Amino acid sequence: MAKHRTRGRTAIVGVGEVPTGRFPDRGAISFALDSVREAIRDAGVDKDTIDFVIPTGALFSPQFSNELATARIVEELGLKGVVSNCQVFSGGSSSTNALRIASALIETRRARCVLFVHTDKLGTGVSAQGGIDLFSTAGISAEWEVPYGQHYSTVAALATTRYQYETGCTDEELSAVCVSNRKWGELNPHAFFRTPLTIDEVMASKMLSTPLRAKQSNMLFDGGAAFIVTSAKEARELTPQPAYVLGDGGAVTHFAYSQERDLTRFGWAAAAAQAFGEAGIAPSDIDVAEIYDSYPIFQLIAFEELGLAARGEAGGLFLRGETWPGGRIPTTTDGGMLSKGHIGAGGSVSLLIEAARQVMGKAGARQVPGARFAVETATGGTYMDSQVTILGNTVP
Amino acid sequence: MATPDARPAKPRPIVNAWAQPFWDAARAGRLLIQRCRDCGEPCFYPRIACPNCGAAALDWVEARGRGSVYSYTVVQNNAPSAFTADVPYVVAVIRLEEGVQMLSNIVDCDPSAVACDMAVEVTFQRLDDEFTLPKFRPVRR
Ligand SMILES: [Zn+2]
Repeated sequence: MAKHRTRGRTAIVGVGEVPTGRFPDRGAISFALDSVREAIRDAGVDKDTIDFVIPTGALFSPQFSNELATARIVEELGLKGVVSNCQVFSGGSSSTNALRIASALIETRRARCVLFVHTDKLGTGVSAQGGIDLFSTAGISAEWEVPYGQHYSTVAALATTRYQYETGCTDEELSAVCVSNRKWGELNPHAFFRTPLTIDEVMASKMLSTPLRAKQSNMLFDGGAAFIVTSAKEARELTPQPAYVLGDGGAVTHFAYSQERDLTRFGWAAAAAQAFGEAGIAPSDIDVAEIYDSYPIFQLIAFEELGLAARGEAGGLFLRGETWPGGRIPTTTDGGMLSKGHIGAGGSVSLLIEAARQVMGKAGARQVPGARFAVETATGGTYMDSQVTILGNTVP
Repeated sequence: MATPDARPAKPRPIVNAWAQPFWDAARAGRLLIQRCRDCGEPCFYPRIACPNCGAAALDWVEARGRGSVYSYTVVQNNAPSAFTADVPYVVAVIRLEEGVQMLSNIVDCDPSAVACDMAVEVTFQRLDDEFTLPKFRPVRR
């Protein structure tokens, strides 16, 4: 199918983020406002240049989520040039879908400067058991799965069991993903977990749903982030180093998790083929990989299906430190949801803006020297989609 | 800490009208799937149109009730509130012989005996007066 070439036509020009944590005394709106103000400063844009605002959903409160959908951020910040405030929400893939929509709007000149913002309060806006119960229904079929006790631990465990059965991947290799992400989390002031972690500690942690253990499971926190997208031409006028959107691809494979035909692959290979084809680069060109990691299994599967490792071999790479700081293929360099923390749809917002920071040279202690090309992945619901985005500091 | 009495009731399926024959049959101890009159493909869960070809002519057919465990997990901790009293319990994706997949629980066996690709057969567990859930147990030799 002939496709309009989009490579490098748009760029992320500014990012903002608040640290992940527990902030019972702060309203969720403050995470959004602080993030947006930082993104505006980072981009160097006049706030009234923003003509399209895309808030995503907040899971902790339908009331608050509806306030975001109905322009609360526009009003709070006094944004005066906004044509549309329009919520885009697909769970953990919201960021990628919003970037795709933003790029399309800009390429077709229906928008000039698009602001995306995420905020949620899953750490202190709901109780611990409330969080478990929320994630035993959110995105899970109320007729065909909720009655059987499905929740996100079982979702992750079902993929892990089958993947281990087919590939021989070990518990140690799965735990190595947590350790690798923690190496990066130690370097990220916005990460919640910043103390060293060992494989033994992961493997000694409480069993949740076999073979998934507590330290292989993300935890819920408060947080927020924002990014600003504009045309490549305007981006070059605003900032010396934009993060160009080189390519993206996606595949929606299921709603009900039990309907997925391959819990060890999902749609990553098709999504990656689209994204790399559009970007005009190969997996071997990637300098940094920001792979969605709500649980270790999904990071391993996506890593392999993207072509960054052969099937069944990703675990060994994580174990040997090839994904660590200084390693051959630095991966999930913000610490991921396993170390930075799960903040709802923000898991992949965090990874997307980290990919942007890396190619913009703004990743601080985590900066991968000379990073030119970054690949980022995102997925929503019970891994209902496989979304791949490639950013670069140059347009190949 | 919630007392056992305060524990919420089990979630009941939120039924789409067109799936009612499935639930009626389950209450009578029969496992129904659908088959497309046009393309012949089986489907589960119940649909208003064939997800393969789009035809609206779907016939209810009784499944043989046998299949295999595609994947499984034994829930030991951090279960949803309504299921904390049930741990350890087994959640599994079942592949029926007809080719369709469904989520269920493996029952009537030691959870540690469950394995990928093991043969299972349907059994029915009453939830309440209205609902009976199809579950699976190892095929008895
Ligand atoms: Zn058909």
